[in-house]
Amino acid sequence: MQSEYRELFLEELDEQLEVMDHGILKLEQETDKKEAVQSLFRAAHTLKGSSAAMGFESMKLLTHEMEHLLDKVRSEKLLVCPALIDLLFQVLDHLKLLKMEIVEEVGGYTDISSILLKLQRFEDEFFSIKKSSASSTVRNHGVKPKLDQADWMKVTEYVQQQLHVHWITIRISADCLIKGARAYIIQAGLAETGEMILVSPDAADVEEHTDAPLDLVILHACAMDAEQLMEYLSGYTDIESAYVEPLQPEEIETSQSQSQYEFKNTNETSAPVKSKSQTVRVSVERLEHLMNLVGELVIDQKRIHQVEQIQKRRFSDDSVKELSHISDHLSRVIGDLQDSVMKARMLPIEHLLNRFPRMIRDLSRDLGKEMDLIIEGKETELDRTLIEEISDPLIHLIRNAADHGIETSEVRSACGKSPKGMLRIRAAHEDNQVVIYVEDDGAGIHSDKMKDSAVAKGVLTRAEAEALSDREAVELIFRPGFSTASRVSDVSGRGVGMDIVKSHIEKLNGLIEIETSPGQGTQFKIKLPLTLAIIEGLLFRTADQTLIIPMSNIAEIVRIKTDDLILLRGKPVIRLRDQIIPVSRLEEHFHMKYTETSLKQQYSLIIAGSAEKRIALVADELLGNQEIVVKSLGQYIGKVPGIAGGTILGDGNVALILEISSLINRREKSRMQGGLLDERQRA
Amino acid sequence: MQTAVNEQYIEFGIQQEKYAIRIQEIQEIVKMQEITPVPSMNSFVKGVINLRGKIIPVISLRRLFDLPDAEYTRSSRMIVVYHMDETIGIEVDYVNKVTRFPDVQLPGDQVGSVTGRYFAGIGMSDHGLTGILQLNDLLLQE
Repeated sequence: MQSEYRELFLEELDEQLEVMDHGILKLEQETDKKEAVQSLFRAAHTLKGSSAAMGFESMKLLTHEMEHLLDKVRSEKLLVCPALIDLLFQVLDHLKLLKMEIVEEVGGYTDISSILLKLQRFEDEFFSIKKSSASSTVRNHGVKPKLDQADWMKVTEYVQQQLHVHWITIRISADCLIKGARAYIIQAGLAETGEMILVSPDAADVEEHTDAPLDLVILHACAMDAEQLMEYLSGYTDIESAYVEPLQPEEIETSQSQSQYEFKNTNETSAPVKSKSQTVRVSVERLEHLMNLVGELVIDQKRIHQVEQIQKRRFSDDSVKELSHISDHLSRVIGDLQDSVMKARMLPIEHLLNRFPRMIRDLSRDLGKEMDLIIEGKETELDRTLIEEISDPLIHLIRNAADHGIETSEVRSACGKSPKGMLRIRAAHEDNQVVIYVEDDGAGIHSDKMKDSAVAKGVLTRAEAEALSDREAVELIFRPGFSTASRVSDVSGRGVGMDIVKSHIEKLNGLIEIETSPGQGTQFKIKLPLTLAIIEGLLFRTADQTLIIPMSNIAEIVRIKTDDLILLRGKPVIRLRDQIIPVSRLEEHFHMKYTETSLKQQYSLIIAGSAEKRIALVADELLGNQEIVVKSLGQYIGKVPGIAGGTILGDGNVALILEISSLINRREKSRMQGGLLDERQRA
Repeated sequence: MQTAVNEQYIEFGIQQEKYAIRIQEIQEIVKMQEITPVPSMNSFVKGVINLRGKIIPVISLRRLFDLPDAEYTRSSRMIVVYHMDETIGIEVDYVNKVTRFPDVQLPGDQVGSVTGRYFAGIGMSDHGLTGILQLNDLLLQE
């Protein structure tokens, strides 16, 4: 659920944690703390909001307390002190642990209760210590050393012996001549009063000849409380400042568990987490540009290949062989490059499908129908432009299925079906195409009903309607202005749906097919190319021009003799496996001159299809198929009926790509208007 | 569109008629290459060509001015203009030279057989009259 937001959230989390890291460091180092506090506060606030929205409770609680504390600091009710810095770092570490949990999608092994307690108590405790150590300026520049397992055991032992365990931070003034010795004396003194657990730095490691003050951090257990310790320490000379902070009992547990996680981090989690965060956001524009450049490379590579073929025929010298090696290698590299760039543009269809559960919920409420939504194949990837483009048609199909397909619970029960309707959206890759199914287990479409409706609406005459096969009748649904629902509802609108869905999908070089069985449901199958930028096309020549048909539109290629043509109402058709397919010459569509070759005895016919409709196009010569880069003909030429765009061929010339759906529609239109249009065009 | 006297123009021609386009509006001049015809509503759009990987439309001044198509010769050229974010090729019979006009006059309603709104002005020089084309009206007509 929500995984697209999850990615966004993780990105934001990374950013904000980084801000915190910097912020806390700044807070520690810089004299003017206002800015740092402000940025920390903002980061905590942002994370609180987004983690609450994502339902990450622990993170929300933690950032909430952090925000609260920082607000105190911001309003100067609380002074920045080393203990605060430490605490903030601890919170940050916990946040990072929580982040890892989210990344790995494992829940709740990080216990935040103790750190929460610390945050809540910090204010009070800090004040009490401050009171007790009022005599000395509280400044801690020493960093607390990490405790290892043995140290923690000691701490636990001393705590059990009812001893007070304190962090003692002492700054030996810069004026002190032999700082190491002074440190040693202090340590020895403290050792007499209690137990030294840890000293940092070791007296032996102290650099004597620096002008910097020496910071000493000691973990010390004794019977005295913080106040008494401070008093004791004030007896020493050369101490510029001293600071005593009791070690909180909770710290013992957390630190122990923390150390376990830290161990884990270094071994397993850090690597995948790294790779997860190693993404760069790239603007779509740049990707488009990259894609265009690759497209040009593909074209140039094709041209090099052609030149190489010509050279091969003419010469047989080593340099030609060399050229062919280079050309082969280049084509492989460009192929890989093309793949990679294409992949960079791909997104899982999840982004789109995730909208639907909510939509179905609302639809079932509005329509008073019960239905379940099943989504499969969320991870199927396709071109991002396609995801945007396919969204409207899919929404339409789903609404239609919910509104017209699935029956009310009563009707369903009466038919012996489960009262709850089922809607299934399934996406998958099928041989270099993306296929999306939208299925329902509703009433299905009755071909008789469709025929009646078509007659009633005046789309067809009764005789025409009766002549339709069941399949053709069902496909009436894709006719403009056709809606089977007897009533118009808000949900699926006024019957402007399906024809628009179809034309939209075909514009994307896709196909939509319908499969229905009355009483059992309807299935729409949408086939889409993986990308819009590069398609597989069939090149052929007709009317002295090279033209291209997208392979996705091609059903088959047949060779026929002139005798095989049948004239039906004055128009040539062929009969192919009981289907009557109109034969069309592109010269007619585009009003071009007929060429000599068009009067041959044998024709190659390209049977191209859009939905279930077929058209047979006469080809003078078939040139084979190849990958082509689709380019627009530009705003100036605008939309030309029957033309989807252009591409640049290996020889540098431009070839036009045909749009089969609009060719079929044009033909149908002219058929309906009879010879009238032809007359006018001739005039 | 302003037609200042000191501006530079590219002068070209169709048959004996001379025309000019402001040099700033011209992107480049290329030799003729094979044009892929595009079935279009506008008969003066001849088709498209490949200009270094970009598909651009080519229009015919001859058709625009109701002159018959002619065979291409060695001097046939395409003047590539950049106008309103569109790169468009204009095929002409020949390209003459870069020139200035000492005097530019407003066009009348008709310039020869062609409507006056295609012209920004008439350039006057010792060699005769030159029609200065108004790209906006020429290219963006319905």
